[in-house]
Amino acid sequence: MKYRLVAVSGLAACLAAGAAACSSGSSSSSASSPSSSAPASSSAPAAAAASPGTTAMDFGPACSAVPKSGAGSFSGMATAPVATAASANPVLSTLVAAVKKAGLVDTLNSASNITVFAPDNAAFAKIPSATLAKVLADKAELTKILTYHVASGRYSPAQLASGKPIKTLEGATVTPGEAGGSYAVNNAHVVCGNVQTANATVYIIDTVMMPPSS
Amino acid sequence: MSAALSLPGATAGDAVPTLAGLAAAAAVLVVLARAAPRSRAAARPAREPGQRIAAAGPAGPGGPAAARATAAPPDIAAAQGTAGDRAPADRRRFLIAGAGAAALAAGCGGLGGALLGRFSVSSLRGQVRLPAPAVPAPAVPAGTSLRLAGLTPFFTPNASFYRVDIDLALPQVPPDTWTLRIDGMVGREIELTFADLLRMPLTEADITLVCVSDEVGGPYAGNARWLGVPLAGLLRRARIKAGADQVLSAAADGMTISTPLDAVLDGRPALLAVGMNGQPLPVAHGFPARMVVPGLYGYTSATKWVTRLTATTFAARPAYWTQRGYAAQAPIKTESRIDVPKPFARLSAGPVAVAGVAWAPTRGIAAVEVSVDGGPWQRARLAAADGPDTWRQWMWAWDAAPGLHRLQVRATDRTGATQTSRRAPPFPDGASGWDSVVVTVA
Repeated sequence: MKYRLVAVSGLAACLAAGAAACSSGSSSSSASSPSSSAPASSSAPAAAAASPGTTAMDFGPACSAVPKSGAGSFSGMATAPVATAASANPVLSTLVAAVKKAGLVDTLNSASNITVFAPDNAAFAKIPSATLAKVLADKAELTKILTYHVASGRYSPAQLASGKPIKTLEGATVTPGEAGGSYAVNNAHVVCGNVQTANATVYIIDTVMMPPSS
Repeated sequence: MSAALSLPGATAGDAVPTLAGLAAAAAVLVVLARAAPRSRAAARPAREPGQRIAAAGPAGPGGPAAARATAAPPDIAAAQGTAGDRAPADRRRFLIAGAGAAALAAGCGGLGGALLGRFSVSSLRGQVRLPAPAVPAPAVPAGTSLRLAGLTPFFTPNASFYRVDIDLALPQVPPDTWTLRIDGMVGREIELTFADLLRMPLTEADITLVCVSDEVGGPYAGNARWLGVPLAGLLRRARIKAGADQVLSAAADGMTISTPLDAVLDGRPALLAVGMNGQPLPVAHGFPARMVVPGLYGYTSATKWVTRLTATTFAARPAYWTQRGYAAQAPIKTESRIDVPKPFARLSAGPVAVAGVAWAPTRGIAAVEVSVDGGPWQRARLAAADGPDTWRQWMWAWDAAPGLHRLQVRATDRTGATQTSRRAPPFPDGASGWDSVVVTVA
């Protein structure tokens, strides 16, 4: 009986992962344009199907805080490029403000296949307001911190669990881990993980990570 | 379903096809689970019915999503436990249920297929021979295509052309039974067959299409050489009545699109297209015929699998996307995008080629400029223009100094208007803003 329920809900999850309505060229890729020129890729709402290999369910204690419907919901975010998806999600509004201040919106939207460790509003609230204001005013420092939260490639929960360090776009690595079903990256806990957007896999975390040379 | 529902203005009705597929698949699962033999040993043959369902699945109304469901039955059968072995009777019951389910799925597939007119038209499309154009496109000037790795090619190959539709399964419309009906506020209703179209003088035109969903820097734009019958001529033949301001087109997949009548009649190469880059339209791009109207986002102009043109008014007949809150009329906004260097690229200090495309269909691009880190705007080199209805490639040679840099681009059209820096999202009438890319120079 239990297995029947799991199978049916598994079905629901598969179907909710989204059928394609919009794709840039062949349907094989969820992010990059497959044309030989490969323009900086992004996907708009109603974009290509979520990448097949990573459609495990989203996990984490704070996933329930994600809107249930609309552009900021899991299914809404699945078809939008990552900065657009984040801006539809009230849980990530401080991050979005920081990304805009750093001028990284188009770059994040157009990047192909990345992983973003996204500090939620509570993470930013942990930073003393004077410090936060100083960082937001310093574009170079802000960009350094933000790129320390982005990695090339879409990392799966299994890869995080392996503990293998992940090189970030800032240059330094972050160290993921898993214990008893709870995932962490450096000193941050993953509160909602494996969130699929059109061009990025997102792990929402509860602490802003500081790059080593900061 | 999520794609359809996440669009602004989506209604619950948009979820019906996927929900119906889910309900059907869930019902099949429950039936099979109940029929599954109780022991592991007996469960092994259960994989065969599962696989037969997989074969029948993709043709069903649930489309590709339903096919993904086929993994479940063997797991259920194996997981039913080891409580005794009532093998022969149970196995028979499972196999019969499985075969029944497969037959049902095939039947649903057939019915669904029949309802959508679905079998593959690929071979029929392969037999189409397009005539040479009576009005060929003007020769493409030398220099429309800059040779640079990573830069968008001037013509977008059919296989890479962006695809936007609401279909789980593409309409398969046989050309020999296809007709186009022109009606509404007309003095004379017209019905055309595909053979009629191919007998008419065909015009060739290079036109860049853009999807309203294209975000700043996004990939939902493409350029092709189209071949078709001028729409203005067809509509004039039907003698449009005074007072009409809209062409409401209908398509084989139920889509309706509203196009301003004056855009179709004002002399731009608005076409009822049958050819794309030298071939009959690919099925995914509207075979056997579609509309292409330069200067308007696709949702207001580029009806694929078109079957009917009705002369009417915007007031009387709102089209599909208009009903969902998108602007009734949507001219393509001037835009430019950086193709190289790529986001977050790590570059060596020294000469770096910054390049991309820019478009302002019907107006043409006059200039493209690039700014580094908010500094002064530098004029980029433009590739040769191929008329005002296509994009233009551009390139700027940057002497890159070490450090983190943000490149930004903006375009000016031939009326002298520079694209706005104001950020607008795709909804309701197209995105705007200057594209940018952040890179590191070592």
